[in-house]
Amino acid sequence: MNWNAFLFGASAALALVGALFAVGLKNIFHNILGFALSLVGVAGLFLTLGSDFLAIVLLLVYVGALGIAMVYAVMLSQPLDTPRTPRSLPKVVGSALLAAVVAMALWLVIRRAHFPPSGGSLEVTPQMTGYRLLSDYVLAFELISILLVIAMMGAVMVARKDRSRSGRAASAAPKASP
Amino acid sequence: MTWLHWYLLVALLLFCVGLYGLVQRRSLIAMLIALELMLAAVSLNIVAITSLSGSSSSVGQVVALILIGVAAAEGAIALSLFVAIQREVQSINVENLSELKG
Repeated sequence: MNWNAFLFGASAALALVGALFAVGLKNIFHNILGFALSLVGVAGLFLTLGSDFLAIVLLLVYVGALGIAMVYAVMLSQPLDTPRTPRSLPKVVGSALLAAVVAMALWLVIRRAHFPPSGGSLEVTPQMTGYRLLSDYVLAFELISILLVIAMMGAVMVARKDRSRSGRAASAAPKASP
Repeated sequence: MTWLHWYLLVALLLFCVGLYGLVQRRSLIAMLIALELMLAAVSLNIVAITSLSGSSSSVGQVVALILIGVAAAEGAIALSLFVAIQREVQSINVENLSELKG
């Protein structure tokens, strides 16, 4: 239990520090690195909860795939050396206040809620997860695969260069001619 | 404070840091990063509650897996939209995306 508590503290610190980096730093590339750090921490928290498979999937999908896609999007869109106008102080204070109010409200809800104690064991094997995915939750499983295919095709459609056959490009055509 | 409350506290802080970033940042990619942080906090919440309270903890795993899949699809669509917006407007700062503003 002591080892588990240490792992929990280290992972939680990693997740929160990474989240602060992901939100607070100015450089967008540092934000992505902080995001990856934060999700490594969340994966560690999943490990302490006994869900190893989920931790690995989280690392693969978020830190691997999504992090690299974000780096690609940064390289394709935003030059890192563009001048940044600083955010005005009232807006920063306002958004911090909003986050603090939401945090207080959610914490009150958490303190009031009643959680029944756990009945089963903490350990969840990947076999159990896979069995559930293909028996009770098979509809959600199939829908998520359809969603992923459609999202992939849509991403390619949206981001490709040649948009001459889409209707929106025709209306933008006069502006494009030099 | 039980163990579950510690997990919920970490997820709560992660969620609110993400909310702060979503409201405060102006680059679309930074906003997407903040949004993904909030989604990760939600899946952490679900897994913590289902494994430390109640009886069937594999349900939480399934829900979290589906959530990760939706987040991946959303991230792919969002990033390709950002690239298209950059090509169209030459900026992904939300303050420059005011074409539909009345």
